[in-house]
Amino acid sequence: MASAEETIKDIIVKIVHCDREILTPEATFQDMKADSLDMVQVLVALEDEFGIEIPDEEAQKFKNFGDFVSFVEARVAEKK
Amino acid sequence: MLRGKVALVTGSSRGIGRAIALRLAQEGADVVVNYFRRREAAEQTARDIEKLGVNAMVIRANVGDTDKLNEMFDTIASSFGRLDIFVNNAASGLPRSALDLDAKGWGWTMDINARAFLLGAQRAAGLMEGRGGKMVAITSLGSKLMWPGYIAVGVSKATLEALMHYLAVELAPKDICVNAVSGSFVNTEAGLIYAEGGGEVGEDAPWKTTPAGRMVSPEDIAGVVAFLCSSDAFMIRGQIVTIDGGFSLAALSPKDKGGEK
Repeated sequence: MASAEETIKDIIVKIVHCDREILTPEATFQDMKADSLDMVQVLVALEDEFGIEIPDEEAQKFKNFGDFVSFVEARVAEKK
Repeated sequence: MLRGKVALVTGSSRGIGRAIALRLAQEGADVVVNYFRRREAAEQTARDIEKLGVNAMVIRANVGDTDKLNEMFDTIASSFGRLDIFVNNAASGLPRSALDLDAKGWGWTMDINARAFLLGAQRAAGLMEGRGGKMVAITSLGSKLMWPGYIAVGVSKATLEALMHYLAVELAPKDICVNAVSGSFVNTEAGLIYAEGGGEVGEDAPWKTTPAGRMVSPEDIAGVVAFLCSSDAFMIRGQIVTIDGGFSLAALSPKDKGGEK
């Protein structure tokens, strides 16, 4: 089974159309060339994929790809 | 007035949709509260509806996503077996100028603001079959008046209005009344984003008042929607009721009235 990080990469690449290689933990949304519409779609796709909720207030604190992964992993762990 | 009716109000976690949901509940309808991103706000709306002694159901769905829209109607069909009132209120959009609006932003806005009304009306009509019903689309003056950054939403609202006209005629023989309610700047979180995006902020900003002396409130819109959903409005078909305190008629800012300077 793919790790959460790999699944998140799949989702971002599919929605934002960025290169997978740039998705390092430090990669910012500017690096991904993602706009606010992309981000909403990524958040919704992550929520559906992992069965979690990512409130907008939390998402606004995300600064880079690593923040996405940490948040999703923490929420998934809470579910178990 | 609406006791025993089942109503769906899309985008009713906050703002105009919440006010409509509460007003329909106040009139006796059971209400399906649809939301996309604000679960807590939607659940609060549902709790406030239940306090009025009617039933509320919360359904999450991005109405711009055809599968999610259909799932929402499937849930309504299995839970209630019918629908009496469909208020198409959910809206979204990117504040962009004509030269900055790209295909993605156009598609997103049109899918949520206009296509969802067509597809939603198709499903709603099926749930109203044999009994009739009411459909109300929430539009805005931005379909005809230009506001900075509002092109995507404005064009989608013009499409929504044209759709409403067609639906009103095609669904009339089924005793389904289809109308729209249009507002000027409404005092909501989303309304203020666009109004202030026009560059004029502060107490004296022209959009902050109307000839009637104040901004339009969500409750102003909700009251007219409730009327259009009543039996008194049965012969009103395909109309756009404008609620703007005279804003769209005034050639000058209300603050410049009568040549006083």
